[in-house]
Amino acid sequence: MERLHSLYLHVPFCTWVCKYCDFNAYAVLEGLIPPYVDALAKEIDAAADALPVGPMETVFIGGGTPSLLTAEQMHRLMDHVRAIGLAPGAEVTMEANPSDVTDEHVDGWLAAGVNRISIGVQSLRPDALRFLERLHSGLDALAAIRTARAGGFANVNADLLYGVPGVDLAGWLETLEAVLAEGVQHLSAYELTVESGTRLGQEVRMGLVRMPAGDDQLEQYWAATARLEAAGYGHYEISNWSRPGFACRHNLAAWNYRPYLGCGAGAHSMFRLEDGSTKRRWNVKGPHAYIKAVGQTGQAVDEMETLTPERARGEAAMIGVRLLEGTRSAHDFPEQRRNLVGAGLLLENDDQVRLTRRGVELANQVGAAFLV
Amino acid sequence: MSTPTKLIRAISVIAHVDHGKTTLSDRLLEYTGTVAPRDMVEQVLDQLDLERERGITIKAQAVRMLYKADDGQTYQINLIDTPGHVDFSYEVSRALAACDGAILVVDASQGIEAQTLANVHQALDHNLKIIPVVNKIDLPQANPELVREEIEKVIGLPAESVIFASARQGIGTKEILDAVVREVPSPTGDPRAPLRALIFDAKFDAYRGVVTYIRVLEGTLRPGMRIEMMQTGKSFEVDEVGIFRPERTPVDDLSAGEVGYLIANIRNVRDSRVGDTVTDEARPAATPLPGYRHVTPMVFAGLFPTDTEQYQQLKEALEKLQLNDAALVYEPETSAALGFGFRCGFLGLLHMEIVQERLEREFNLTLLGTAPTVEYRVKLRNGEEIPVDNPDHLPDPGEIEAISEPMVIATIVVPSAYVGNMMQLSQERRGQYLNTVYEPGDRVVITYRMPLAEIIHDYYDQLKSRSKGYASLDYELVGFQEANLVKLDVLVAGSPIDALSMIVDRSKAQQQGRRLAEKLKTLIPRQLFEVPIQAAIGGKIVARETVPAMRKDVTAKCYGGDVTRKRKLLEKQKEGKKRLKRVGNVEIPQEAFMAVLSLD
Repeated sequence: MERLHSLYLHVPFCTWVCKYCDFNAYAVLEGLIPPYVDALAKEIDAAADALPVGPMETVFIGGGTPSLLTAEQMHRLMDHVRAIGLAPGAEVTMEANPSDVTDEHVDGWLAAGVNRISIGVQSLRPDALRFLERLHSGLDALAAIRTARAGGFANVNADLLYGVPGVDLAGWLETLEAVLAEGVQHLSAYELTVESGTRLGQEVRMGLVRMPAGDDQLEQYWAATARLEAAGYGHYEISNWSRPGFACRHNLAAWNYRPYLGCGAGAHSMFRLEDGSTKRRWNVKGPHAYIKAVGQTGQAVDEMETLTPERARGEAAMIGVRLLEGTRSAHDFPEQRRNLVGAGLLLENDDQVRLTRRGVELANQVGAAFLV
Repeated sequence: MSTPTKLIRAISVIAHVDHGKTTLSDRLLEYTGTVAPRDMVEQVLDQLDLERERGITIKAQAVRMLYKADDGQTYQINLIDTPGHVDFSYEVSRALAACDGAILVVDASQGIEAQTLANVHQALDHNLKIIPVVNKIDLPQANPELVREEIEKVIGLPAESVIFASARQGIGTKEILDAVVREVPSPTGDPRAPLRALIFDAKFDAYRGVVTYIRVLEGTLRPGMRIEMMQTGKSFEVDEVGIFRPERTPVDDLSAGEVGYLIANIRNVRDSRVGDTVTDEARPAATPLPGYRHVTPMVFAGLFPTDTEQYQQLKEALEKLQLNDAALVYEPETSAALGFGFRCGFLGLLHMEIVQERLEREFNLTLLGTAPTVEYRVKLRNGEEIPVDNPDHLPDPGEIEAISEPMVIATIVVPSAYVGNMMQLSQERRGQYLNTVYEPGDRVVITYRMPLAEIIHDYYDQLKSRSKGYASLDYELVGFQEANLVKLDVLVAGSPIDALSMIVDRSKAQQQGRRLAEKLKTLIPRQLFEVPIQAAIGGKIVARETVPAMRKDVTAKCYGGDVTRKRKLLEKQKEGKKRLKRVGNVEIPQEAFMAVLSLD
């Protein structure tokens, strides 16, 4: 099995689960945080005994809301990570809710070893924040970026949402501009996606909410791309832009089909085996069940699947084409490449391919072409 | 051994869908000890999955029950379950002809519904004694008294004859059996007369050949006898006669009044036709039983495998299915757009759907069916006359002298409130009004002479929807009539799609072409490029629509934990695409080929 140099840690707790969110996140379970941190530490230790891990080049602490953890808890988790091996210069990211980004927390997180922070700004407009059920204001979000930078984070990401009902192109660009003015190194902009199991999904189904038309969403997307490129941010993945050298190494590893270990409730792991097959496994989703399972056995695997080398290659290409600067992952699919080039969705350059503008708009069609 | 004729009863159960026909039949089987309650896991009488799902019976079933009544006598009660759709109305009529009585089941909360009435009228047409039952009286919303009054008012059966029951709880089962024994007449045929047995169904058994379902009306049938089918003239030696309890059980003989089966090394259901009369070759009856109709296919459609490699499998599947379905005919067909397949003939649209579904489920095929059409007769200028059951095979207009189309007499039975709607619909469909008869019980019988082609184009659905479900329809082929018809062609992305061609009335052709193009626009999914759709008559484009290119299909987030879900989603979409037929570089779904059926 290929050695694991990336680690994902999941923190499934939130003060409030926003209506569009379909991540593995739970409100009103904050009381479980202490036993959960214990379990997470134990799972990290046990995984290191069972698998070829480390040193970790990238660590990503995602959620939920990891910023609900105290500085001590974060420190403890990072101590366990250091114990299994943390490479010098490793990228250690944590996600944070704007309201939690205080001077004191920032000091604690940095002391714990976190060196990249991803702040859930989403929007700066009061109406959009209300619609999205965010509990912070736009000013809170801008203040959070400032606090993080002032406190010593040299690598800051802001998460934004476009295509929010009620926000037109001008409104969206206003939010983008204000965030750029804060000097973030990295920016993720996601189209607000209606997931069927969420309250937003239900409201859309019932006709209570009307999502913007596809053309309007694309207009906001390309306008943001143009603005970001002008501001010196490279568009390196469908929803991600960064200043040179600041692309998220953790996510790049996954898009380049490198294996990773995932710990925590509902976390996914991906392993690469010698014969070219891929093994994916994921943990039980509920925090209670997770804590119980890890307490008993040191792990909480719910299910796993193994992809044959052929299917694994297809999956690698499906993910790889999302990298807009080009990928070699479609190397083994000459016929599909030819068809996609012919349809104007892909550009070929030696053994690299990359999506055209239209290919980006139809990226799922391109990805599906490689699945066998 | 044989039951005396006066102790024999033959009945069917008639009901609206969901009113409890199957549950009631199960209770009767249980109460009479025909089937032990523990074997009642599945409802016994409906056999195909398809039948259970659609709530219809495609094949008739027959079970013999023995019931010891309070008078100390043991009665033989034969329960015949009948199919339930206009496509099979002839089969239903033969199954009812094999009965002397019928149990009418009406739901205690729903009351009499449209289909109930149609069924009752059919039973009355066969002079069946009707035992009315109000079922589901245990439900909180039940109003049995009201439904009982309704039965008296609408159908004319005395309220005091109505039995209250709950098939679910077994209430009323004995009362029903007693009423059957008391009210339904015993058969009158003479067991010593020359044999006359009515065939009401036939099934193919891989080991025994055809199992023929019969009711002996006169004489006695025994193994070893040489029998003759009076309509087809074929003769066979009887291997086995028996009854259904509910599994096949051989008996020494079946005599006048009894219901059962015969096995006679018959290799093809075509030699055992529903409605035919079985007689003794050595001592034949003078005349066959009345009411025989040679069943011929009314509508034709192409069936093509979406995966061209399944052609051979489709051929074998059709061969097997035909062994059990005397009404199904097929021959090889080649389409420029769809490749190799078969042109098949069916009794009607439901029959077609059932055949396609059975081919797909039981033989694991993925098929594409083209729009059904009727068989036209085309007179050429050289004097020759040819049948055309595929619009694409219509000769060049220059060679055609005249085209004739099949005509039917359509009989609609409907409450008077909907007569206007029925007439309007039938006029729109080129119907020629014949007459109207008002019958007792607010029952109006309207007859029209109209092209069969109009009937298969969702006439039945329209009839039902414009009469709130109350109208019933029966039709009979009466011959061919010249008509002013033209071929309407369809081009998708510039290429003609032969399987989308249709033959239409000239005066309506342009309008139909426009509607068809509009409809196709909604049915053909967006592709990576723009797809023009055109309708043409004799090379002249009469309508044009465009399916815009797919605009956007991109997932915003795809991180580690999202990959499995995303891959599965894309795989599922890809699997769904297998149901589409690739014509040139456009993917066309099954529904598009059926679009011509509902252009109104």
